[in-house]
Amino acid sequence: MTVPLTVLVVVASLALAAWAGWFVYRDRPVILRQLWGASVVELLLVVEAVVAGVLLAGSESVSSPGLFWGYVAASLLVLPFAAAVAFAERTRWSSVVLLLAAVTVAFLQLRMTQVWQA
Amino acid sequence: MTDSKETAVTADHPAGQRVEGPPTRAGFGRVLVAVYGILALAATGRASYELATKFDEAPLAYLLSLLAAVVYVLATVALWRGGTRWRGVAWASCSVELVGVLAVGIASLADENAFPESTVWSGFGSGYGYIPLVLPFVGLWWLWHTRPRVAEEGTPA
Repeated sequence: MTVPLTVLVVVASLALAAWAGWFVYRDRPVILRQLWGASVVELLLVVEAVVAGVLLAGSESVSSPGLFWGYVAASLLVLPFAAAVAFAERTRWSSVVLLLAAVTVAFLQLRMTQVWQA
Repeated sequence: MTDSKETAVTADHPAGQRVEGPPTRAGFGRVLVAVYGILALAATGRASYELATKFDEAPLAYLLSLLAAVVYVLATVALWRGGTRWRGVAWASCSVELVGVLAVGIASLADENAFPESTVWSGFGSGYGYIPLVLPFVGLWWLWHTRPRVAEEGTPA
């Protein structure tokens, strides 16, 4: 995993979390523009996964690949799920779900970095 | 957004009859289902990884991990589905979680070697931000909060 890419994902997902948090405070449901934001984060996650795959195919190695790819898969699943909730629940609670999802993505980056370095 | 089918059930019922409670998945329920879903994902991933790679090291702990994973998946599905039968499943799985996290938490306090960093429930779920400890309480509260009530005449259920 490359550090700049990880930092970018963390910053982007935390920005999305802050945006969602603001909407929770304002008692508003998730809006489409936030889902575009979420898809940018998702795209970054896909790029990161591809880069990780290329690096691991090359000289890099990770102590437990199963664990690492498990985290990659989990982080890819979280935001689409929050988007589905955003369509189903048109109250502030969809913003709470998006907030939690974005924080989870950032947290998973931390765990992925730990596994990568181990 | 409420499920139109379930709203229809509560809309025109004879007074005094037991009716469906509010859907367990709506409103705050979305958050509950989401957190349960994330935990179910984490527990399932962990259990399958442990069972596949190092089952022989600590069979009891890893089987407990598997049990926890199954219970979280059940709770997620049950809270999502709602309705009389799934509500029962949700009550059961939240209760099992509560007993599990307390029992394993106390056991890991009493004997550190009993459950080394091996299950979702070790140290009252400290490895997962104590969410496994808090979640069953919230889940049971939510089930109680959305419980089916005996409808009285003139009061919408």
